[in-house]
Amino acid sequence: MKAQLFITCLAEQFYPNILQQMVLLLERLDVQVEFPAEQTCCGQPLYNSGFQSQARAMARNWLEVFGRSEAVIVSPSGSCVDMVHHHFPELFPEGTREHELARDLAGRTFEFTDFLVNQLRVTDVGARFPGRVTYHPSCHLLRGLGLRREAGLLLSEVRDLEIVPLPEEETCCGFGGVFSVVYPEVSRAMMEAKVNNILATGAEAVVACDAGCLMNIGGGLRKAGSQVKALHLIDILASNGGYR
Amino acid sequence: MTESTHSHQAPAYIEFGEYSTHVPKNIPIALEQATGRFLGNREARIAEMPQWEELRQAAHEIRLHTLLNLDLYLELVEKQVVAAGGVVHWAVDAAEASAIVVDIARQHGARTAVKVKSMATEEIGLNQALEAAGIQAYETDLGEFIIQLAGTGPSHIIVPAVHMRKEEIAALFREKLGIDAPTDPLELAAIARRILRERFLEAEMGISGANFLVAETGALVIVSNEGNGRMCTTLPDLHVAVVGIDKVVPDWESLTVLLKLLARSATGQKLSAYTSFITGPRRTVGEGGAKQFHLVLLDNGRSRILQDPVARETLKCIRCGCCLNVCPVYKHVGGYAYGWFISGPIGAIFSPQILGVEAARELPFASSLCGACADVCPVKIPIPKILLHLRHRVVEGDEFEKPAAPAPLRASASLGRVALSTPWLYRLGTRLLPFLMAPLRRDGWLPALPPPVNRWTRVRPLPAFRGGFREWWAQRQRRNGDRDSRGSP
Amino acid sequence: MSPLDKNPVIENIRKSLGRQPGQAVEPRPAVLPPRPALEIQAEIDLFVSELNQLSGHARRVHQEQLAQALDELVQAEEIRRATLWKTPVLGNLGVADHLERLGVEIIPAGEDKHRLASCDLGVTEADYALAETGTIGLLSSPEKPRPVSLLPRVHLALLRAAAFRPDLAQVFAEAKGQGYLILITGPSRTADIELTVTLGVHGPKSLNVWVLV
Repeated sequence: MKAQLFITCLAEQFYPNILQQMVLLLERLDVQVEFPAEQTCCGQPLYNSGFQSQARAMARNWLEVFGRSEAVIVSPSGSCVDMVHHHFPELFPEGTREHELARDLAGRTFEFTDFLVNQLRVTDVGARFPGRVTYHPSCHLLRGLGLRREAGLLLSEVRDLEIVPLPEEETCCGFGGVFSVVYPEVSRAMMEAKVNNILATGAEAVVACDAGCLMNIGGGLRKAGSQVKALHLIDILASNGGYR
Repeated sequence: MTESTHSHQAPAYIEFGEYSTHVPKNIPIALEQATGRFLGNREARIAEMPQWEELRQAAHEIRLHTLLNLDLYLELVEKQVVAAGGVVHWAVDAAEASAIVVDIARQHGARTAVKVKSMATEEIGLNQALEAAGIQAYETDLGEFIIQLAGTGPSHIIVPAVHMRKEEIAALFREKLGIDAPTDPLELAAIARRILRERFLEAEMGISGANFLVAETGALVIVSNEGNGRMCTTLPDLHVAVVGIDKVVPDWESLTVLLKLLARSATGQKLSAYTSFITGPRRTVGEGGAKQFHLVLLDNGRSRILQDPVARETLKCIRCGCCLNVCPVYKHVGGYAYGWFISGPIGAIFSPQILGVEAARELPFASSLCGACADVCPVKIPIPKILLHLRHRVVEGDEFEKPAAPAPLRASASLGRVALSTPWLYRLGTRLLPFLMAPLRRDGWLPALPPPVNRWTRVRPLPAFRGGFREWWAQRQRRNGDRDSRGSP
Repeated sequence: MSPLDKNPVIENIRKSLGRQPGQAVEPRPAVLPPRPALEIQAEIDLFVSELNQLSGHARRVHQEQLAQALDELVQAEEIRRATLWKTPVLGNLGVADHLERLGVEIIPAGEDKHRLASCDLGVTEADYALAETGTIGLLSSPEKPRPVSLLPRVHLALLRAAAFRPDLAQVFAEAKGQGYLILITGPSRTADIELTVTLGVHGPKSLNVWVLV
């Protein structure tokens, strides 16, 4: 199977290691990975801020870049995939070529856990990660894409991993994209509530599938002086033994 | 009356940003308790109802159908209420609605009125209008009674005074009522009962809203728990109801769907203690009830909202308050921050449409778009979708309104788009940023950045810019000599 | 045509929706089927359980027990003055007579609201009952005035098995043509002060429903 990588702007800027791990992991699963190098950003920050005309231009670019190949598209970000699935088609009037293209590509764009569990039908990737972690489901993954069980299934197969449930796990961490900079005090309050719940679990790390959540929560843990790490699920799945 | 963020004129501008940075600590604490209880009860109710999702779907369809045929259903309401002996008035806006009520009161010689909690009357600032006309309107819901004494607005749709401690309430009773009030909630409620009982029995006029208006027979439906709703609509000779035109339900059969959802969604009760169904004035003298019944149908911008196929779903709302109960933003800031009588996620989409984007431009952004509200809404209002739709209206304008965002902001969005979507520019930025940020790095983080990006780092550090994936990929391609790859440096 | 055509609210609505005067309404979307009834004793059991969970006082009462039950109620709630609906059942059972024998002053239900407000007990007969929610439904008429179930601090409603309906749908189908219906589900309550549940805020504090068996 061939898959195009949609690396996302946040992961590219802040978590390039998980992109590398994702490539290696997919190749171990016999996926032939392609990387369309002209990709930039899906336009979600602009869409989120209300600049739909700007977001439309970026969506066009994205569709053009990823539309060149017949291969499916895989991304380590629930929110970016949600953008492609739900908002790209909305940006173009029904019946237009662009709308059809958007729907076609949306139909073959998969968030990483969705790809592994539901497309490759894999839950055990041979990972081992001794430690106690807790899992935070990001809002776009959970409610936007309806992916409620996939991350849990993947984590349950990781050897030596202890998973502690996170209290109020479905409550938003306060990132919300532009929300975090438009209303920083409210974002702070939500972030601190999430951090407190994480600290209460006694876990050594919190795991999530979205770079935005990780930036927010990871930064919050650091600000709180905690040693608890914020890891992407791929960090766990790519691991064959403790922390690097 | 003390000044408050809820001056009963519609607000000229809602400063959510400002209000949300000065939230008294007791508000999130109180809201967490209240909403936690309501949601817990709701969960229990849903577990008993395997047909819950079908009910929501039916409710959505019925409400939307009603809105799309609203003219006909409203005509039927008028016909039926008049046939039942009531008088129907139509108010295009808030000022007209208040004027109508004042006029009815004057014609009737009413000097005091007892009011059931009604969001529509708060929307139009009715109490102020009555007061200006020399008519004293007494709020009779315990929570509304308390905040009326305090001179402030409600912090939650269902429990408006939940943010106040019993000590504060006792002090308020002492100060405003001249009563030596103990700090026991049961005693405080008993005091309110005594005082309000007098008012119920003496008032010349009862004012209510309605939860629903059943077009089939012109019946007003009032959902309450305390019994003041019954008092206000049973004891005075004159009953005036102010009802938004969006409250119409086609018939009694469709009402069953909504009543099965409302109390369960609001507080987790199966039904509220009292559900009253009132059709016109009393038909016989002996049975009790009002001699005269006036229905004031309030538009105030709702008819205009019907034009917008996306945002008109806002009008399906049955005011259960469940979206408030699940909203993390609301629970941290409380009702005042939303600047008007309606708060939480529903407030964030309702107010901008009624007040316009100039006044309410901050509200569509008062959300992290987590979607918890849409999951619980009994009538399936797609709140995050409408928030995004309104954000677009605020910054770029649409066929309904001009943008409220200044031109420089729109220009910088355009620049931002160019930077983000031009591959060589984007890649250059990705390469440069780690170097440019290097002096600010501390141990893999950027703890402080200059404005405007310090809006992030004020709250928590930013991870250091790293990049490097494309170089890694390109190197790998060269090493593997992979000609299939379309990647390029 | 009708003066409604000049109504600015209706005009605005039609303009917004692109509708013409008199344009037909599509059929209203379907509702779910009503709840099916359990066998009557099970309905009564459910009703009693539900209402008691809401701090109501629901029980079965045999006709022979009625005098005794009234005596207990009068003692427990310190009833000195009562007002009653006039219904065939209440008349046949002689409820007013029983109360008078217990020393309770009877105020006719047609008296003015101030007099009724001075009563401790209001006695009615439920027109409808819904087991699933522990709800009773009351209509109104000159013999069955509304304030009787509202003003006194204690409300006693007698309930015949025949009044039970499986679902709101049936109650509405029968009552929609009436000018008034009140559905009562438990005593008056509030949680407005620090979420502490307080009963009897404005309406009756004590709701007693006796199912006649």
